[in-house]
Amino acid sequence: MALREYERDIRGCSRCSICKWVPFAQIKSVDCATVCPSISRYNFHSYSGGGRLILGLSLLEDRVELTEEVADIIYKCVMCGACEVSCKIYRDDIDVLRVIEELRFACVENGMMLPEHMMMVDAMKQEDNVFGEPKSARGDWAKDLGLKDINKEKADVLFHAGCRLSYDEGLRGVVRGAASILSDAGVDLGIAGADEACCGGRAFEVGYRGELEKYAEDFASRVKASGCSKLVTPCSDCYGAFKQLYPMVGKELGVEVLHVVEYVEMLMGQGRIRPTVKVPLKVTYHDPCHLGRRGEPYREWEGEDKLKRPSAFKMSGTRGVYDAPREILSRLPAVELVEMERIREYAWCCGAGGGVMEAYPEFNSWSANERVDEALATGAQAIVTACPWCERSFTDALEERDEDLEVLDLMELLARSLGSEPDA
Amino acid sequence: MLDDAVYREFEEVVGPDNISREPAILDGYTYQIVFNPTPSPWLNRPAAVALPCSTEEVQGIVKVCNRHHVRFKAHSTGWGVFNAPGYEDMIILDLRRMNRILQIDENNMFALVEPYITCNQLQAEAMKKGLNCHIIGAGPNTSVLASCTSVGGVGWTGISMGYNCRNVLGVEWVLPTGEVVRLGSPGSGDGWFSGDGPGPSLRGIMRGLFGAMGGLGVFTRVAVKLFNWPGPKRIDARGLMFDIKAEVPENIKLYILLFPDMQRFLDATYDLGDAEIGWIHSRNPAGMLFTFLFPGLMRETAGRPAMRSAMESIKHMVSFGIAASSPGELAYQEKVVREVIARNDGVLIDMGKLPQFESFMLFGLMRSTLSAFVFRAGGNFASSLVGEETTDSGAPQVDLGVRIKQEYIDKGALIDDMADTVWGSIYENNLFAHYESLMTFDSRDPRQQEWIKVDEEVVDELIDRKWGIGIGLSGAGTVVHKKFGPHMCNYDKWQRRIKKALDPEGLSDPIGYTEPGD
Ligand SMILES: Cc1cc2nc3c(=O)[nH]c(=O)nc-3n(C[C@H](O)[C@H](O)[C@H](O)COP(=O)(O)OP(=O)(O)OC[C@H]3O[C@@H](n4cnc5c(N)ncnc54)[C@H](O)[C@@H]3O)c2cc1C
Ligand code: SF4
Ligand code: SF4
Repeated sequence: MALREYERDIRGCSRCSICKWVPFAQIKSVDCATVCPSISRYNFHSYSGGGRLILGLSLLEDRVELTEEVADIIYKCVMCGACEVSCKIYRDDIDVLRVIEELRFACVENGMMLPEHMMMVDAMKQEDNVFGEPKSARGDWAKDLGLKDINKEKADVLFHAGCRLSYDEGLRGVVRGAASILSDAGVDLGIAGADEACCGGRAFEVGYRGELEKYAEDFASRVKASGCSKLVTPCSDCYGAFKQLYPMVGKELGVEVLHVVEYVEMLMGQGRIRPTVKVPLKVTYHDPCHLGRRGEPYREWEGEDKLKRPSAFKMSGTRGVYDAPREILSRLPAVELVEMERIREYAWCCGAGGGVMEAYPEFNSWSANERVDEALATGAQAIVTACPWCERSFTDALEERDEDLEVLDLMELLARSLGSEPDA
Repeated sequence: MLDDAVYREFEEVVGPDNISREPAILDGYTYQIVFNPTPSPWLNRPAAVALPCSTEEVQGIVKVCNRHHVRFKAHSTGWGVFNAPGYEDMIILDLRRMNRILQIDENNMFALVEPYITCNQLQAEAMKKGLNCHIIGAGPNTSVLASCTSVGGVGWTGISMGYNCRNVLGVEWVLPTGEVVRLGSPGSGDGWFSGDGPGPSLRGIMRGLFGAMGGLGVFTRVAVKLFNWPGPKRIDARGLMFDIKAEVPENIKLYILLFPDMQRFLDATYDLGDAEIGWIHSRNPAGMLFTFLFPGLMRETAGRPAMRSAMESIKHMVSFGIAASSPGELAYQEKVVREVIARNDGVLIDMGKLPQFESFMLFGLMRSTLSAFVFRAGGNFASSLVGEETTDSGAPQVDLGVRIKQEYIDKGALIDDMADTVWGSIYENNLFAHYESLMTFDSRDPRQQEWIKVDEEVVDELIDRKWGIGIGLSGAGTVVHKKFGPHMCNYDKWQRRIKKALDPEGLSDPIGYTEPGD
């Protein structure tokens, strides 16, 4: 059991529960002080980051068996990584999230997967996407946009839409808008169309490390074959997989990987994208986990004693993407940004990650609703994000409520500011 | 094991989602490494854990316990061995669903809170109303209630905000028998503004000096004293810890005070206390700060004679803060500090001249965010808690702690932090002081599992030398109280009587407090 490799980390847990809280200097109110959706929803200590370490030790010492009940605890976690950020402020020698991952790998190794996750992985095996939608329809979103097909011609930038943006018709405007903004800015953009495949990140998060390795391998060879110099994606989930998970399983893509917000910010800096249309809107920005703390580039450290690990190798969340989206927002005429209390490294998760959207929709919805409440408290008219999984969670949550809060991807808002509302 | 029928009775009180006997869940309440004297992280696995959400539910559980003779223990945030179950067949009441601030009374300057409100949360809300709370040295992640009613209560702001033992203005208390009582002014229905009535004043019985550690029932509400906060409603910061950037308000000043020797440190402490100034006062020896904040650097350099002598020369180091209500008050307090420094041959470093450091220390001191750094060097920590005594009598206790600790450092049982990591603060303008010698070690290393021996040696010497009764090992229950008792008016006998009177069935876990007796 590879969990054993983390025994030292686990035995170092002081049970301080700091991983349940927003970093202390950032706690601004009684209501927005907690950061872990899992412990906040299920309450028993085992649902927290530290509790999961203890659960790991119980398993390692055969104090408990890996039963369905235990798997249920393991999977009721959105893998948002907030626990890791708060713990790492104080600790060099504990990698909470790695242990959380190992617990999931153990579930898969021991046949304790959840049926919903098995269905998702089967769908991936059959159709190369997490929804089991026909592979042949993957590129339909780009119809009539006139984008290059990298299977036929070379392009400087490979645009990877990801599963959700390829198939979620409600989010068509996001993906079409993002691609159009780039091509209108003169970017030499290509897509893989029906040949685009899932990044594999969601399989990894539910414990199928091997699946991610296969997808990473395949992805790396496609990227190489395309001859592109940059890989750009509007999906934070995919971005996190490329930046953090691929290097973790030893796969480097060999090209510059950018989330579309990073690329757009760069292009704005070069004057190639100039938003001029006033969009009078008070917005708040939700940091997607996989763009922020879980999008932080992974660097392997070979040493034994983590107490001696240099900070550059510590996954502390601080090197995620937080400024680029805010910089873009600041350049949109008449758009006013009002921040929520839990932002950047310590943002509250939308609840979609870690296989929760698939297996525990009620928990997903609960977490999204918590965030919606926080957004509403700012007085914003819209919650803007940069990940289709977050957008879907908030949209679905708001469908059940009678609130005046628009949910937007940053690219949709930018498109408005460019006077080019994308057609869905 | 709990009988199924009894378990169902508990379930009826809190609902099936709020109780568990799943071993994997129970282990979350079994594991504790901090202050755990054994090499194993596991203590007793309880039979069940319940999550009551109201006083009525707590009372309901305690009544079931009384009906079926089941032991129980309250658990707020659950940090450290004190909340660990003393027995296997008992039930833990995890109070995290009781998480409301019920009232912040600006006029009478108190807050009424439930057990799972942390110091951090209360401070954030109190500041919005121009008030502040005393946060214990353990850190802002601890329960406000726990340090008022049940354990400890000392921290960095003691000079201005006292000791939580004395900041309690009233409690709601589910006795071990299941009866609910209210102490202090709430006991007479007159509100929550005074701990000593009108109404029953039983503060000494409720907690005494260090707390009953869950051995006397469950506290469900506490009114805690708040203090004037002249700063802004909210201090916005960028960053998480070392990278914190915050605008330190103009009426707040932070200093490092350095003294050439112990005597002049002590004299200056009295001078500051006599002058009745200051918001924060805390002794933080250089070795301690460096070990906690830069463990890598200390690991590499602690053995070097040059480093040792450099650290020695700045070991009598104090973090001092002023929070003034007016420019005049600020000027006055600054002038006094400078005079005290001059009179005692000290050196004053104005943290304001080092803005990045000042931002970091502002939260470190004001919010007690530095505490968890004690785990950074080796993963574990303990403390040879010494006296809650006068500042002068604390001094030889400090020396004692350092000497004994050094022996353990020398044989590799503790991490080398230059031995003098005596952290301490003064309270109520130096009415008394609290010093404790902190130890860091890696309990995963078989050579570093002896910290308890340091505590035992310190306690024995304190008793032999009649240097005051330390609070070290206070959580160890009957054994240690019997040791201290004869030297302090036989308080241990009273404790046993109190326990017997309030808990005739002995159901509220006595492990950290005392067994009942006559
Ligand atoms: C690293 C560390 C540093 C520390 N430093 C300090 C310090 O500087 N100053 C200081 O004063 N203390 C210190 N302590 C001790 C500290 O006071 C307690 O650990 C802290 O108050 C615990 O708060 P908690 O919410 O975790 O309480 P818990 O651990 O949940 O409980 C602590 C004790 O109080 C009892 N208790 C809790 N809630 C209730 C309740 N509602 N009713 C009845 N009994 C209850 C528990 O049974 C237990 O015995 C330190 C502890 C640690 C682990
Ligand atoms: S995982 Fe880290 S933050 Fe959480 S309880 Fe353990 S040591 Fe504390
Ligand atoms: S990853 Fe997120 S949900 Fe899971 S334990 Fe950590 S903070 Fe909680």
